[in-house]
Parts: sequence; C-alpha cells; structure tokens
Amino acid sequence: MSKEKLKIALVASAGGHLSQLCKVAKAWSDRSTFWVTTAHIVSGSLGEGSKVYVVGECNREHLSRVIYVLFRCLSIVLKERPNVVISTGAASGCLMCLLGRLLGARIVWLDSITNVERVSLSGRLVRPFADLFLVQWPELAKKYRGAQYVGTIV
Amino acid sequence: MIFLTVGTQFPFDRLIQAVDLLFDEGVMYDDVFGQTGETAYKPRNFEAVASLEKEAFDDRFRGASAIISHAGMGVITMALDHGKSLLVMPRQRKYREVVNNHQVALADKFEALGHILVAQDETQLRVKVEQLRSFVPRPRKADPDVVARQISRFLEVLDGTMDVP
Repeated sequence: MSKEKLKIALVASAGGHLSQLCKVAKAWSDRSTFWVTTAHIVSGSLGEGSKVYVVGECNREHLSRVIYVLFRCLSIVLKERPNVVISTGAASGCLMCLLGRLLGARIVWLDSITNVERVSLSGRLVRPFADLFLVQWPELAKKYRGAQYVGTIV
Repeated sequence: MIFLTVGTQFPFDRLIQAVDLLFDEGVMYDDVFGQTGETAYKPRNFEAVASLEKEAFDDRFRGASAIISHAGMGVITMALDHGKSLLVMPRQRKYREVVNNHQVALADKFEALGHILVAQDETQLRVKVEQLRSFVPRPRKADPDVVARQISRFLEVLDGTMDVP
C-alpha cells in the first residue's frame, strides 16, 4: 500500500491539544491528511494547503453543543472516510475517534500532557477501542492496561 | 517588568486581584503589565489590557523579567521554551474558572520537576512571588520525534496491511 492512499484525520481542540498534535504531525507531511479542530482562529496555523474542518467547541457541560458537533463530525467522517484517526483530544477528538471507528478507521489516541493523575475523560472513553494509546507520563502507562509511554511531546 | 497573563478563554479575576493586592502589601518587587481577558475587576496598581495580538503578546513575553499566569500548558511551554521564570496559580473548578481541576495536578507536577513555581491560592502567591525573583527554571527535555516515530511505525504497518480502495 502506498503512503498516499492511507487517509489520516488529525483531530485536536484549539489551544494546547492542537499545539501538541502539531509537534508530531510534521512527521506525516508526505501523507494524505486532513485536520479537524474547534476554532477558525487557529486553522491558519495548520499550514498552507492543509484541508481543515472547524467543528466548534463543545464539552460535557453543554449537551446541545455536543450533539451539534457530533453531527458535524459525522458529516466529515462520511465525506472523508479516514482510514486512521489520530487525536490528542478533547471532546471533538473523542467524537471523531468514535465515529471513525464505527466506519472502520484505526484509532491513535495521544493523551494530552495536562492529564497527570489520570487519563482525560475523552481518553478513557476512547481507550477500549483505540489501536494505539499513548500517554505522556510513565505513571499513567502503568495505571491503564494497553497505554504506552514512549516520551513526551512538550 | 513582570508580564501577567491569564489567556482569553475564561476570566480569572482571582489572580488579577491577588496580584493587585501584592502591591498594596508591598511584596511586589517589579512593575507589572497584565493581559487579563474580559474581567470585571480593574487593577489599581498596574496597567492591563483585555487581549493582545500575537506579536504584541510575544514582545511582552520576551521582554519580561518573569511571568505570572494561570497554569495553562500553552504558557508553561512558552516559558520553558524561552527560559523564563514562571509563577502560576492554577484555575479551579470550585470557582468556576475551568471545567475540571487538571491545572492543579499539572502545576504541582511541573513544580516538582523544577520547571515552574506554583501558588495554589492567593495566600501562597505572597510567598512564591518572593521566590520568583531568584528562581531559575530547570529546562525541560521533550521527545516529540520519539512519539511521532512510534505512531509512524503503526502507520507503516497499516500501509502494508490495511485494505484501502
């Protein structure tokens, strides 16, 4: 299989989640990728020519927003049909992983460094069906079966 | 000049007010310039703006003698990248400053590693600001390439096995 064929969704909320994903995503610039983030203001920072979808912010405290973002993500997944979803979180990353998985994508979760004592809520929801689950604190790799620590992004 | 920044997503009046009071108590050792977000509290002892363009923000950051901020990963990373002394006060859920308490544990961890100073509340801020004056942050070593390589290896396996039309 040639590199161009595998389609990769890179998903991260604006802010720290996105800056962490950007630091590793450079490694896949020769691959077929598209971005999903939560705010228009950051979409310009993802590089010229990058395909970027902006789904808006949502979190567990605003259910109506979550449902709106869920449908936005569903339309993206149906249109793009990614083979792999790579996400650092947060809620929209979780939704993209879930929907991607339902349509057959492989899932890579990279938990944000801000989660020190336990994996993020989104990460905990994704872990049961993630194909690769990376954390940034060695203690968390011991705490969660299947979680791996190889190093930190920041 | 100390640069005080709280990000623009949520207000953090508790920190703005606490820094303002440090002047009244005579423990603030330098001038302060604040980027305070949309705030109800107007500082009396230092100049402040709601938000700064990225360039102006970077200039303030680079020119500062030290940084005081919330415990956001963005500002922590930036301070470590620039070798700046940073004192943080974590936002807390109980004051509705953030949706969860991740900043509290994150700040403690980074302080234990010698990267930053942490004041968990307004009272501690008074003590920690005196330490800020002579604090030298321990540089942080990250390995984004190692993390990227681990994921790349996974993708390469899929390249060979996944049935992509």
